Amino acid sequence: MSGHVHWAKEVRDDWPAVLAELTSAFHVSRRAAQDEESFVYVVRQDDLLGRRGSGNAIIACGLLSAARTAALEGARKGWTANVVAYDDASDRSGVEEWARRLLEAGDVNGELIRVGSGHIGKTLA
Amino acid sequence: MNGTIVVTGAARGIGRAIAEKMASTGPLTVIGVDVAPELALSESITPVQVDLTSAEGPRVVREAVQASGAPLVGLVNNAGITRDARLVNMADDDFAAVLEVNLGAAFRLSTELAPLMSDGGSVVNIASRAYLGNFGQFNYSMSKGGVVGMTRAMALSLAPHVRVNAVAPGLISSEMSMAIPEEIREKMVESIPLDRMGTPDEIANTAWWLLTPLSSYLTGEVIVVGGGRSLV
Repeated sequence: MSGHVHWAKEVRDDWPAVLAELTSAFHVSRRAAQDEESFVYVVRQDDLLGRRGSGNAIIACGLLSAARTAALEGARKGWTANVVAYDDASDRSGVEEWARRLLEAGDVNGELIRVGSGHIGKTLA
Repeated sequence: MNGTIVVTGAARGIGRAIAEKMASTGPLTVIGVDVAPELALSESITPVQVDLTSAEGPRVVREAVQASGAPLVGLVNNAGITRDARLVNMADDDFAAVLEVNLGAAFRLSTELAPLMSDGGSVVNIASRAYLGNFGQFNYSMSKGGVVGMTRAMALSLAPHVRVNAVAPGLISSEMSMAIPEEIREKMVESIPLDRMGTPDEIANTAWWLLTPLSSYLTGEVIVVGGGRSLV
């Protein structure tokens, strides 16, 4: 499998910890972009909705927006950036499978894949 | 409305328009926060010059709120900067600076002031249409996506007493957008269905509505004010 998968680290509502995680994702992403390789961020659906504190929400939504911007840049070079969001009912192997599919697809870019049904009826991210 | 409202990034552009709008619409104490030493606002606005990314920044604002003697009814997290580059070329310093100002300052100030917010109060976070993605703005769009996430989390944690919403401006006529090369800016305007840039006053009008009880059943939402640009 070519490309990178970055699982969002869980944090408390503490700015240095939030910035450290976002910086870590930035470094992974910049390296991938420089190598012209695709990447996928993995976040929790609860965090996209702000249900587990500001710190985790900032990271999840920040990564989603960053992926959309990176996707625009990758589209010109042939690599992609996407996000997989999972819920409490998701198993890790299923989430990893979706990340793998996105890395290999090549024609899905800047997209949010929400695994499971927990997102239905909730706000669009 | 009666009470105190804090607006950050109040010296210029959207922040200034919001501060002036709020100062003109009622018996409010408006505290205009900015790092700029040339901060010059209407006499009706109380200026606070401080770097919100500094360790003491949020405390200085809290003390100004407490000194106002009126309940805190509104907070507008507006201060923001850009340091654009393609992701492959983005420098660590440019990434950190944008995250610290656009997101860290808003997060830390909100944390500092949330306990002071009065029942029925309203927080308005100025995000950006770039949270939907914008070429060359990995740091900026990440910071504004973070602002959206913070908005949702705060809306849940401060409910039912305080409402928290975000405004996501599109291309607005301000110093920030004037830094975009004219040729690129003209092309951007061509892709806006309303066929023009927005004005700071148009963002201020939306922020004003979110700060008043006119929007009393709205919380945790993002309102994109971008002339229809998100559709094309």
